Amino acid sequence: MFRKWFRKAKPLSQKQPSTPQQDPLSTDFHENLQVLRSIYNNCADVIFRPFLIGGNKKAAIVYIEGLSNIEEIDRSVLGPLMDAAAGEADTLRAIIENKITVPEIKEVKTFADCIGHISIGNPVLLIEQEDRALSLGLAKWEKRSLEEPTAESVLRGPREGFTESMGVNTSLLRRKIRSPRLKILSMKVGRYTQTEVVIAYIEGLADTSLIDEVRNRLQRIDMDGVLESGYVEEMIEDNPFSPFPQVINTERPDVVAANLLEGRVAILLDGTPFALIVPTTLYSLLQAAEDYYQRFMIGTAIRWLRYFFFVISLLLPSLYVAVITFHQEMVPTTLLISMARSREEIPFPALVEALFMEITFETLREAGVRLPKQVGAAVSIVGSLIIGQAAVSAGVASSPLVMVVAITGIASFSVPRYSAGIALRLLRFPMMLLAGSLGLLGVMLGIIAIIVHLCTLRSFGVPYLTPLAPIKGRDVKDVLFRAPWWMLNTRPRLTGEENKYRQAPGQKPDPARGTE
Amino acid sequence: MIEKGKISASQMGIMMYPTIVATAILWVPEATATRAGRDMWISPILASLTGFLSVYLAVRLHRLYPKETIIQYSEHIVGRILGKGIGFVYLLFFLQLDWSILREYGELMVGQFLPRTPMFVVLGSMLLVCAAAVRGGVEVLGRAAQYFVPLFILVFGMISLMLFPDLKPVNMLPVMEKGILPAIKGAVEPLKWFGEFIVISFMLPFLTDRERGMTWGMITVIATMLTMVVINLLVLWLFGEITASLTYPYVEAVRYISIADFLEHIESLVMAIWVAGTFIKIGVLYYVLVLGTAQWLNLSDYRPLVYPIGMLLVITCMWPRPNLAELAIYLKYIAPVIGIIIQTLLPFLLLMIALIRKRVTNGGKAVQEG
Repeated sequence: MFRKWFRKAKPLSQKQPSTPQQDPLSTDFHENLQVLRSIYNNCADVIFRPFLIGGNKKAAIVYIEGLSNIEEIDRSVLGPLMDAAAGEADTLRAIIENKITVPEIKEVKTFADCIGHISIGNPVLLIEQEDRALSLGLAKWEKRSLEEPTAESVLRGPREGFTESMGVNTSLLRRKIRSPRLKILSMKVGRYTQTEVVIAYIEGLADTSLIDEVRNRLQRIDMDGVLESGYVEEMIEDNPFSPFPQVINTERPDVVAANLLEGRVAILLDGTPFALIVPTTLYSLLQAAEDYYQRFMIGTAIRWLRYFFFVISLLLPSLYVAVITFHQEMVPTTLLISMARSREEIPFPALVEALFMEITFETLREAGVRLPKQVGAAVSIVGSLIIGQAAVSAGVASSPLVMVVAITGIASFSVPRYSAGIALRLLRFPMMLLAGSLGLLGVMLGIIAIIVHLCTLRSFGVPYLTPLAPIKGRDVKDVLFRAPWWMLNTRPRLTGEENKYRQAPGQKPDPARGTE
Repeated sequence: MIEKGKISASQMGIMMYPTIVATAILWVPEATATRAGRDMWISPILASLTGFLSVYLAVRLHRLYPKETIIQYSEHIVGRILGKGIGFVYLLFFLQLDWSILREYGELMVGQFLPRTPMFVVLGSMLLVCAAAVRGGVEVLGRAAQYFVPLFILVFGMISLMLFPDLKPVNMLPVMEKGILPAIKGAVEPLKWFGEFIVISFMLPFLTDRERGMTWGMITVIATMLTMVVINLLVLWLFGEITASLTYPYVEAVRYISIADFLEHIESLVMAIWVAGTFIKIGVLYYVLVLGTAQWLNLSDYRPLVYPIGMLLVITCMWPRPNLAELAIYLKYIAPVIGIIIQTLLPFLLLMIALIRKRVTNGGKAVQEG
């Protein structure tokens, strides 16, 4: 029903913002300059700097203040060109080869290209009588230094995270995967923002059809601005009406590198530290980078714990409501008596009580995230300690329920990916309503509905519950367990079967190895 | 083809297991105990012969008409008009099978766990969930089964372990006191469940590995048979002669569990897991009904039929049998007969006719090749 409304939305008029001139540059220097000036009308931050090459040939350099390295422009472009002797810098080739000491130079032929280069910070050099301009790779802008990602911290593992700058992010990736088979495709998205989007993959590992599909979906995006990878995520999902994320987002280069090595594709966006990884399965959302860095037994145990609490964070309040409302006989008698005693003074049915406390807790959490850090601590103390205590003594909530809410809260923090935890936080409420109306049967029907939904989901063609449903024998060892590295010989089977093995078999360490 | 999804042969097997076992664990112990007494555990073994036969028939027919279901190839075998007739009979049969399962589920839920909830709500909520799965197609059903069946087996395995201290194997002696006849009588009712294996003829066309269809069909029959034997034995060892007088012996057995004064009265939890199995069963039969109807009417898509047929199911479910006693009579005396005729005899006849027709049309060719 909702789908139809959304589908019916009429295609918007394809009007582009004042189309940048697709015309080529002319040989008339003044006209070129004029056109650029008119395009950058009322842009105080765009600097036009006319000068003479060797004292006779007119030229101009155009750049945006703050985006380009001014000292370098002075030292390697303006200086050598202005000091050039007559005849030394007559042709474009001579200028490039003899005079400008900038490593990266590109010739540009249209105004659109000029604008593109200027806007990413590369100064553009216009020269008299030339129908080509030179774009100089001197972009440099203020950026944040590398920091440990706060949302995905680890005890053991690399501590650097992506930043807002694309150049830094791709270099972080390249530093992890040095092979030239790491490919980085660039494209622009956003009518106004012209954001640089990069598709990273490893040639020979990622399925070619997957790469094409990612590229097609990205090219279909036509919106005013792309400010965060969340925009892209919503535009390329398989099923837009699902609470579950079908794309992983991460700030960690090591996570991206590991996923690339498994044959996935990463999408990086300029201006945000969050990279996207596709295709995604439910289990990859429940895996933390550290699982692979700690010893495998601990990794496995922690993984089980996490699966358990993933389920708990969805089910605990609804199980409580169901048992208290419908199935009191399941509770051992002594516990039942103490629970009944604490519920004696509560005027509400268990469902109302649970909904009330859960909503309060969600509000506290949201307030804690948005507030400044110093105030946030106060909120969490007031919220968790005082409200919890007061609710019990005021007879609004029973103490077992406060415990249930607290455990649920902690359980949902144990999901390593925030986007997956948030989906369960949302689903918890309909589950509580079902539990309040149909008891355990309602809970079970809710679980069935969620699993049926998960079974219909696909992320870029890969079923969301792979490798458990449909079952993929070889990959189960990295989902139900965290098999030791010397056993993880095969890559997860995603879309293709190319390049099945990721390491040589039989590397189980053994002191006797290599002696015979 | 209407269904674009593909499943593997193992998925088919995993789907068929709860399709047979989910309701069998509730009804078979009581039914076999009434007629076979202490030899109730032999009955499923005898009854499973129809299971093997059904799988064999379905696979043989499938090999003759690889891309079609029984609704479609019955037209090729006995001609258009008669074929449509047989197709209609099958649709009616699956309709009654599906509503009787749904009704059994509703009776159990309302009778044992939710006495004050209207039957309509219980049935409707289940059907809504099933409809979502059926709309997803055979792939989604298969994957959901892969999720629930291990859980189902795990929980029931654990229950068997927990019952261990109370079991008295002596209850089963003497074996075959009155000869094999009581066991054969007891086998009449489980026949219906094993006959349901004909449902695989609706899944075989969508297999990725067709050659393994027979193997997995047979494995599932064996697994089903073993499950029924184990459950009959558990109930027999636990309750002995009184098994026949209990409505749901297995539920009573679960009620019996009490370990360390802590794990007791877990029947609600067990029922919740059982609901998952029933969901697969109702879902598969619902899917077969919807797909069959679409094929019978030569539609290009079966999805528009999902909700209308769902409503039909709820109505038929509420209407023909007023209470559990009448339902039990229907299930005990009428359903097995219909079941044997339609699930086993009719496919058998179809296969015979198909083979004869093939012999007649290919006769000349075969001689030449020879």
